[in-house]
Amino acid sequence: MKPGVIDYIILATYFLYVLGIGWLVKRRVKTGAEFLTSGHSIPVWVTSLAFIATNLGAQEVIGMVASGAKYGMLTCNFYWLGAIPGMIILGVFMMPFYYGSRARSAPEYLKLRFDEKTRGFNAITFAVMTIFSSGISMYALGLLFHVVLGWALTNSILLSAAIVLVYTYLGGLTSAIYNEVLQFFLIVLGFAPLSIMAVWKAGGWSGVTARTTAWMGAHSQFAQNPDVMTHTWKYMGHASSNMMGVEWFGMLFGLGWVLGCSYWCCNFLVVQRAMAADSMASSRLTPLIAAFPKMLMPVVVIAPGLAAIALHQMNIPGILVPKGDTYDYNLILTNLMAQFYPSGLLGVGLTALFASFMSGMAGNVTAFNTVFTYDIYQSYIKKNASDAHYFKVGRITTVAGVLLSIGAAYWAAQSNNIMDFLQLVFGFVNAPLFATFLLGMFWRRTTGHGAFAGLLAGEAAATLTLGFSAAEGAGGWFGAIHTFPSAMAQNFWIAILSFMSCLVFTVLVSLVTKPKPVSELENLVYGYTKMPVEHNVPWYKRPILLAVIVGTACILFNLWFW
Amino acid sequence: MDDLRIPIGSFFVILGVMLLIAFFTITTGPPLSSPSVNLWCGLAMLIFGIVMLLLARRGKA
Repeated sequence: MKPGVIDYIILATYFLYVLGIGWLVKRRVKTGAEFLTSGHSIPVWVTSLAFIATNLGAQEVIGMVASGAKYGMLTCNFYWLGAIPGMIILGVFMMPFYYGSRARSAPEYLKLRFDEKTRGFNAITFAVMTIFSSGISMYALGLLFHVVLGWALTNSILLSAAIVLVYTYLGGLTSAIYNEVLQFFLIVLGFAPLSIMAVWKAGGWSGVTARTTAWMGAHSQFAQNPDVMTHTWKYMGHASSNMMGVEWFGMLFGLGWVLGCSYWCCNFLVVQRAMAADSMASSRLTPLIAAFPKMLMPVVVIAPGLAAIALHQMNIPGILVPKGDTYDYNLILTNLMAQFYPSGLLGVGLTALFASFMSGMAGNVTAFNTVFTYDIYQSYIKKNASDAHYFKVGRITTVAGVLLSIGAAYWAAQSNNIMDFLQLVFGFVNAPLFATFLLGMFWRRTTGHGAFAGLLAGEAAATLTLGFSAAEGAGGWFGAIHTFPSAMAQNFWIAILSFMSCLVFTVLVSLVTKPKPVSELENLVYGYTKMPVEHNVPWYKRPILLAVIVGTACILFNLWFW
Repeated sequence: MDDLRIPIGSFFVILGVMLLIAFFTITTGPPLSSPSVNLWCGLAMLIFGIVMLLLARRGKA
């Protein structure tokens, strides 16, 4: 792929814009609270788009295209099962407590609801995880640009890190959120033409269906059910009849309930966007409005992967390229761009890749600096300082966060094993959290000791399951007593067991320890919180009605592509 | 900054114009499509940008 002058001009224009937005926002950000939490001031359409953009990192985009080619429509489960239900639960049930408690972060909610140790545990694991995930995605982006464009790894890592650093340093969370909206539009408008052209070239959706079926019939172990690429649920009856190697129960419970909800309801990275909204009503609407575009994202990110298989079946070279005894799925997106985008549009596509990377990284950086400043620095290092002091700490933490991410990127570059291992662990380290937040918000008897014991039990169960089970030749360090059909099935089952252990231990320990007095539970627990009522608002501003609409549409999508 | 729609709108207007310039100046297409996709995508982005700017103006009035 050889970008021309115009492509570089487009990329440079984008860089100027993100820096310009950071500079314009800077004038509005005068206090530490505004820098770290946006001071509850952002309109709902902005928070909604930022809510999905922050999850739409470069790895997500490249990975979803890759999964589309590897697993076909089964990948849609990550949206219609693994995201929409979690977003509905956040908007309808959980946001009133996050927003109503006036906590500045998800760990701080745990402090208000439970105790210091539960908060500390969550804050520290979260901070470590955000640094490593932004480092890993930085490395992945640098590697991609190295392979595709021949750029030196260091150049793309330092360039993108420097730009993210400047605009988050200048305008903090508001700057990150505003840029995420620009990035969201750029990602959609930059990749949608690719999807349309690739599907068109493969003969439309019916062409894609026919060609992927022909391909699977001839080149896979699924000759019995070759249409497996274009169905979401039909072959979920047994793990051996679909490429994911997952059966319906693991999918439904592991991905839909545990992993989907623990990510979308408890990961501060995304929850922070809803908490920045300008009112309680806006904060509840944020994930619900975001669910509409989220539900349609497979058109942009999964369809190109399926089309790539169809084009490969048509003997078009250069899209699905071999790697060892399989294919290099991670290169499909950029290969498609090289095949379909002329100079000009190619610049837009590359800029969209940078945009997706920056939205993911800025999300990590802004979540990291809030959690570090308020949940680690303010609680363990220096209490009761002035807002100006925490403002300064927040800014220094922003710089430190970016530098640590760069360090993590180079560390990940040392060995593929480190990266695979970290991604495996990040897959389920959040899993028990959903049990903790769910019990904390809806069962007033839950105690701090209970929550803490539950979290430890959840992580212990995850580690033990990973140690005693094997999948695709990984895990099973303590002797594999069970072998999963695929790494994905293993990941889902680790999450299920981790969630269940957390639930059981939290309940058992809570029953034998002393609960918080009712007076301290106001705005934190269901039953002691004034739930928002909406009688006099138009229908499109009613969370429950929107939830019903988006939930029904999501079920219809599942049935349509059953 | 008062209204995010202004930077977003102006960004896509600029992007649209650049794609139109690319359409008129670049004649070599990639293997599987033609340079004319720059025209269609450029127009789409131009329209999107103008709509954003109009919404911002209406919001202000």
